Amino acid sequence: MCLLNFNKTYPTYYAIPALLLFVIFFFLPGVLGIFYSFTDWNSLRAEVNFVGLKNYLKIFSGQYDFVKYILNTVRFTGLTMITKTVFGIIFAMLLTHKLVKFQNIQRMVIFIPQVMSFLIVGLVFKSLLNPVTGFFNNFLKSAGLSVLARNWLSDSNLALSTVIAVDTWKGVGYLMIIVIAGIHGISSDYYEAAQIDGASFLQKTWHITLPLLKPVILNVTVLNLTYGLRVFDIIYALTNGGPGHATEVINTAVYSEFSKGNYAMGTTLSGILFVFVMLLSFFILRVLEPEEKS
Amino acid sequence: MKGRMPHKASVYLAEGRQARFKKMNLPRCIAALLAVCMCLAAVTACGSLPGGAQEGTAAEPQEARKKDVTLTFGSHQSGLPTSGVVQELAKEYEAQTGVKIDFQIVSDAQWRDLLKVKLDAGEAYDIMNVDADPLSLVSRINPEQNCVELTDQEWVSRMNPIVLDGISVNSKVYGIQFNGIRRSVFFYNKKIFADLALQIPTTYEAFKQVCQAVKDSGLTPIYEATQNGWHQVLPVCETGSYYVTLYDDLYEKLNKNEMNIKEVKEIEIILNEMKEFAELGFFGDNFMNQSVEGAKEAFAKGEVAMFNNDTGWAAETEAEFPETAGNIGIFVAPWSDNQTVSSNPTCNAYFINKNSKYVEEAKGFFAFLAEPDSLAKFLEGAPNLVSLCWKDTPSKEKPEYEAYFNSLPAGVVMQVGVSYIDPQWMDIGKDIDAMYVGIMTPEEIMDNISLRRDELAELAQDPAWVN
Repeated sequence: MCLLNFNKTYPTYYAIPALLLFVIFFFLPGVLGIFYSFTDWNSLRAEVNFVGLKNYLKIFSGQYDFVKYILNTVRFTGLTMITKTVFGIIFAMLLTHKLVKFQNIQRMVIFIPQVMSFLIVGLVFKSLLNPVTGFFNNFLKSAGLSVLARNWLSDSNLALSTVIAVDTWKGVGYLMIIVIAGIHGISSDYYEAAQIDGASFLQKTWHITLPLLKPVILNVTVLNLTYGLRVFDIIYALTNGGPGHATEVINTAVYSEFSKGNYAMGTTLSGILFVFVMLLSFFILRVLEPEEKS
Repeated sequence: MKGRMPHKASVYLAEGRQARFKKMNLPRCIAALLAVCMCLAAVTACGSLPGGAQEGTAAEPQEARKKDVTLTFGSHQSGLPTSGVVQELAKEYEAQTGVKIDFQIVSDAQWRDLLKVKLDAGEAYDIMNVDADPLSLVSRINPEQNCVELTDQEWVSRMNPIVLDGISVNSKVYGIQFNGIRRSVFFYNKKIFADLALQIPTTYEAFKQVCQAVKDSGLTPIYEATQNGWHQVLPVCETGSYYVTLYDDLYEKLNKNEMNIKEVKEIEIILNEMKEFAELGFFGDNFMNQSVEGAKEAFAKGEVAMFNNDTGWAAETEAEFPETAGNIGIFVAPWSDNQTVSSNPTCNAYFINKNSKYVEEAKGFFAFLAEPDSLAKFLEGAPNLVSLCWKDTPSKEKPEYEAYFNSLPAGVVMQVGVSYIDPQWMDIGKDIDAMYVGIMTPEEIMDNISLRRDELAELAQDPAWVN
């Protein structure tokens, strides 16, 4: 006998314990952070004074680079969302296709980077991408492709793209596994019917797989979005925000402000991120809702 | 209740339980068990002690408990001699007392931020290796709040009084320092200079010509290292002794906010010169990916002709690459025609975390390091040290270098004399990186330095800024 009857509608107050935990451990710290963003809280003085919107005005005044960091965060989120989703779907479709052999081994190989520490990935790629001694450039040079060799992490125009590529390499396996689970959930009847109608692989993908994967893709998008906006580790490990400030994002700026002892500015940036993540997640979940209801 | 239950009824109950168990999904049961295990594990983990130390029971003798103590020692990679002499001394201390020292070394570029965050989070190390100077110590670790006062320790009176300012707050000593006065210079490969018939440069133009000649010979003129985050800032701040010869009471006026740092035009000139050097290829092709640690090998192999660091670097390089012995010359950095010697009496020092469970053990370790035998081993075992800031310890500075320093006027580096410079050192480093890759101008760097000084002063409610 199951403890819960999933067909029964339980009273709303059953949600109170979970809601209470969420409010105490997730929502309240966020709100408190927003409260402190209106103060001058810092490590150099004990007293905390109300300063109104001063910290917010500072961020958007243009005198500092904070807006650039916010844009970098958005760029990182948008691009990793696209690359991880596209490659995740491609790998998932390939590795569920009956013609591909050793599927489990290949899935494992693609998934392994996901379980590696960001610091290890950072150190390994810093070494691989060194323009003089690194594997990538030396490989390109030995293959006669010297023209493609670059300063991957120290060129301000390339550094963010390189970080995005490494992050995609690390995270694509996780999304692939989710999409594979989604593909396994699609009834084979659809494909058999399409086969009888003479549909090609691409037609089956476009008219069956992708439409039926829509809820999965939307979930994956929420995951990518919340991860991308909160990104810190991979940038800290690979470039530490450099060269110069070319790869700084909101959370590296938060870290930097906290380390300077300017807690109020750190919480202001965190507050902006908090509101941003909440609004975007809410928006996407609203989009998702009709799918779930249906 | 159960005892009073009729036999038949209890059998039915047992059968009912079995039937119910069979009906329950097995994976769910396993999941529930795992969840209970995880909760128990989490509760148990929360009860463990930091630093891997195990708390002894009250019945255990004091000595046995002492054996379990592990002190965490946080440091940045260039904060400890690369020879590992501090670690060796820690082993000796462990052999004597049973107290283990766990060294946790972090990259230079991340150390200051990490330490501040750890202090703020209440998770700092038992012993912290901190860049200590009188103007930044409070903003960096706030010793009155975070560190154990050490004024009453016997060894304090044996330290050179000149360094006490850097490790004290309100006349109370909080740290222990070992390094003596450091002087910033350019090292040059004497053989390369002799082969190319080059003289040590005394003006910026001469410096440029020397670098061009070295570059034309197929070598890299200067080894620049930006990966550590601090090295690229040396030309800007360690030419402070020159700035003070050009402006009356410069440091005092800057600290009283009677003058803006942007008015020191020589800083911007030097930034422009550095940019020019990078564009002329005098730092080589890969300087944005190089770290300080690689300089010794490149210098010893004769791949580069010059490197900027403090004087201890020559002795360290000679110890690691004996073939360089006698082949390393020095000259002061002639940025903006500077011909003064910048000295830095401050250095990294060790502090004890006030919240450490093992304050007495940490004090014991400091007392052990301060013993004359340990100091002798320290100086002997750390090739990068030319002197210690302790009375009655000899200097290892080469007479050749000493004579050169004595021939020039000397002064104090800017980060020791001017407030709110050292706390933004790594930020300046990032700005200089941005200048090298073409996304910032020297003028913008000056604006940033000034802006950050204002911001830090405002945070500290510095009367010179706020009133």
